[in-house]
Amino acid sequence: MERAWWWKFLMWGGITVLAALYLGPSIPEPYNKKVPAFVTQLFTKKIQPGLDLQGGLHLVYSVDVNKAIGAKVDRVASDIEERLSQKIKGFKVDREGRDEILFTITPPSDAAKLDDEVLGAHRNAVDEVSRDNATGQIRFRLDPDQVAEIKEFALRQGIETIRGRVDKFGVAEPTILKRGEDIVIELPGLKPEDFERIKTIIGKTAQLEFKLVDDGSEYMTKVAASVTPGGKITVVPEPWTDKNGTQHNNISLRAKEQKDLVDFFAGLTGELEVPKDREFGVEQIADTNPDGSEVADKTQTSWRAYLLHRRAAVTGEYLAAADLSWDQQTNRPEVAFTMDRQGAVLMERLTGQNVGRKMAIVLDGKINSAPEIQSQIGERGRITLGGFGDPFKVQQEAKDLVSVLRSGSLPAPLTKSFETQVGPTLGGDTVADAKWAMVIGALAVVFFMLIYYRTAGFIANIAMVLNIVFMLAILAAFEASLTLPGIAGLVLAVGMAVDANIIIYERIREELRAGKSARSAVDAGFARAFWTVFDAHVTNLMAGVVLYSYGSGPIRGFAITLVIGILSNIATAVYMSRWMFELMLGRRGVVKQTISI
Amino acid sequence: MSDGKHKFFEIIKTGSEFEFVGRAKSAYALSTFLIVGSILMLLLNAFVIKSRGRILNWGVDFSGGTEMQVDFKDDVAIATVRSALETAGYKGVDVVRYGAGGGSDTAKKFLIRMAAVSVLSPDQADAAKAKIAKVGEASLKRFEVSEGGDKIYLRFDQSLTPEAIKGALSSAGVETKGVEAKGLANEYEVTLVGLGDEVTKALEKSLGSGAVSNIPMLSSVGAKAGRQLQIDGVKAVLGAMVLIMLYVGLRFDFRYGPGAIIALAHDSIITVGAFALTYREFSLTTLAAVLTIIGFSVNDTIVIFDRLRENIAKYRDRKLERVVNLSINETLSRTIWTSGTLLFVTLAMNLFASGVIRDFAFAMNVGVIVGTYSSIYVASPIVVWLTNRAAAQGKTAPTKESARRRRDAEAV
Repeated sequence: MERAWWWKFLMWGGITVLAALYLGPSIPEPYNKKVPAFVTQLFTKKIQPGLDLQGGLHLVYSVDVNKAIGAKVDRVASDIEERLSQKIKGFKVDREGRDEILFTITPPSDAAKLDDEVLGAHRNAVDEVSRDNATGQIRFRLDPDQVAEIKEFALRQGIETIRGRVDKFGVAEPTILKRGEDIVIELPGLKPEDFERIKTIIGKTAQLEFKLVDDGSEYMTKVAASVTPGGKITVVPEPWTDKNGTQHNNISLRAKEQKDLVDFFAGLTGELEVPKDREFGVEQIADTNPDGSEVADKTQTSWRAYLLHRRAAVTGEYLAAADLSWDQQTNRPEVAFTMDRQGAVLMERLTGQNVGRKMAIVLDGKINSAPEIQSQIGERGRITLGGFGDPFKVQQEAKDLVSVLRSGSLPAPLTKSFETQVGPTLGGDTVADAKWAMVIGALAVVFFMLIYYRTAGFIANIAMVLNIVFMLAILAAFEASLTLPGIAGLVLAVGMAVDANIIIYERIREELRAGKSARSAVDAGFARAFWTVFDAHVTNLMAGVVLYSYGSGPIRGFAITLVIGILSNIATAVYMSRWMFELMLGRRGVVKQTISI
Repeated sequence: MSDGKHKFFEIIKTGSEFEFVGRAKSAYALSTFLIVGSILMLLLNAFVIKSRGRILNWGVDFSGGTEMQVDFKDDVAIATVRSALETAGYKGVDVVRYGAGGGSDTAKKFLIRMAAVSVLSPDQADAAKAKIAKVGEASLKRFEVSEGGDKIYLRFDQSLTPEAIKGALSSAGVETKGVEAKGLANEYEVTLVGLGDEVTKALEKSLGSGAVSNIPMLSSVGAKAGRQLQIDGVKAVLGAMVLIMLYVGLRFDFRYGPGAIIALAHDSIITVGAFALTYREFSLTTLAAVLTIIGFSVNDTIVIFDRLRENIAKYRDRKLERVVNLSINETLSRTIWTSGTLLFVTLAMNLFASGVIRDFAFAMNVGVIVGTYSSIYVASPIVVWLTNRAAAQGKTAPTKESARRRRDAEAV
């Protein structure tokens, strides 16, 4: 029995010391001067002040999964289209609804040619919904498993992408979570002046594609021939000779306004209709003098068109790194990137076969630049920025582009559905307001316990103080953030601990009234009250768990501290104060008749 | 009972037995009155009281909209702030002071709520849409404001330069931060300026530049997200109730479960009723308070039930009503002290704290009072009633099958 006494003393003492050590790093300035250095070196984890206390940004984005599904269906459709076009010419492809592709084949007798072989790798991705041999209409729908997979992927990829972007931005302790089809982002400590910028960075889709330019095709020559001389569109021939000595008659279409070019493309019909596997893109360029050099006034810009392969040869998913660098000649900021191994292989193949041609770098559907492929390139490339504005802004833009590229592209656009901005001063004010209320409440409880239950009340007060220490230490160990509702949860838990003590003490009093000795009254009191306390705490624990699973932000903070508090309560209010009672009653065998309760 | 050896400091004299169960009838009348009153108040708010118009004063978490704290440099009147915002075209503007009760700077600190989540109200969006229906030669094909209200998606039948769109929107009174072309289908993504900036501008237009010193908090919730939070909130309350009932049913007996659940439903309805009556803001935090009250009410009920179970075994010869009454009396001292201290702490928070904490404390104040009352006057009498009914039925149909069915019915 005496040994048990010592073991318990060592156990509670050890837990208390450990808890105190865990709390060491969390002690705020200027009170942390006395914390020995070894404590902060050994225990680095600490309680983070929540968003509402230190300020910051809380965002909830919904992922537009339908767009991701649409994009996938587009890719599948254009793939099948290309494969089918190698077998038959007379067909039409329409995208219908969110996830359907409709092929109309003329003559209908050719419909049989659209078989599993043509579908190739997409055989499992799409289901054939209907096939009408009379009209030659075949309808495909994206497989439901695929749809579910894309949804899942879009969310997961979305979270990782956002995490990457936020990390690059240098926010300390960001929290990025999935909740249903939403992504929840918490950025405590973010400065108000950065709120708008980080929102822009997070929302960028950042789809990087490399597409071959096909300005030397016969089709382009035909298009150029249709241009009315002296109109808004100018035709600039850019002939070149490849290493085999073949002459290419590249043609570039230019206009002062982007609109003129786009309108011109829209007017191309009949024989001049853009082929299915090609598309037009436009790039903003600095104006050139008649001799080809750029004009001095960089704000004078015009637009040029490129005929592009519709399918991207290489995409941003193979990107390994991106960095801010400076163009040696123009001294403008640019973004240098490196491809990963697989990307490098694709890039080598693409550039090796197409030396002398141009390759467009397309970011979010906009041509960033279309440099000529000088030689076979592997893993490295550069993106120049449309540097026609304020150089500081361009640099900022380049930096943001780097972080966006590094974190990869978003598989689906995000829409913001919830936002809370908290300035850095708010928390302090609120805490100052609530502080006195809490101090008065706590003191009242302490005095009440002392007066009403005397020595037993003193034990309960010690248990209560240690309970608070334990709860905070657990929070520190999990690096949890402490929000205002979290503090409310702690207060409630402390209230429940006091309640547990009252239940036990009232029970002990009853046993004493019934004439039991001090020791057996304490034993019976604790034993009988235990289940009452246990039941009360378990029901609250269940409420806490429900709150945690359904709640968002503030409610979760409340639920976490409540659950931690409940667990700590049972340890301190039941077991620890029991042990202290035993200390008070003295060793077993010595029968003490009175007890101060 | 007392042998005189122990002298306790006590408020309820040992052996005193107050009558509780015998007064159950008047308690039922009071409870019915409070519950019917609460529900009636919700309806009155929604349909009769013109100035309220909604069943509860939903916070922006639930209703969607924007809530912001604005600190002014000098003292301002509420009416001035409101009229400045209404002049600028914001709808559903609600302005209250915040800060510690009676603090020196309360005349400078305001909590502003408005229906808008975007600098673009639906009316302004429609007006802007009409104004940019034709930009140069291009006509507008699509105009969509994003859920979060920070972006507009536009499509024209012809291409335009971002500058032209920016200009057109600006002359339609819509300030933009950036316009970007998306692909080549003449689609454009317009990023709007932040609501905080725009509100500051509107306020300073009426109150002079530099009048706003700080916006320490801004929170905006899309209407869809708000509805989702309401649904989640109801789910959380119901989920907690079902779990608690199952637990009480398993730990005690299924005759106890309904009493505990009816008591806590009673408490949550009356607490919500108090929010309906005072028309205080009902936010996520308030919901957390309601869930805490559920926990507290059950806690209170369980303490009495636990004693009741013990006493039923002890006093087999007594009538159940008397045993229940005795159990309530035996635990009365604890009930008073626990509820009393909790009430004291939350009352202090209600009086001295501000904002979120104050609302939380108010809900707790109501909940503690109602919760204590319901444990004594609602939960326990229901156990008596159910047990007596079960006993009466047991005499007429003592089959196992009917007992099981009855238990199943109670468990649902």
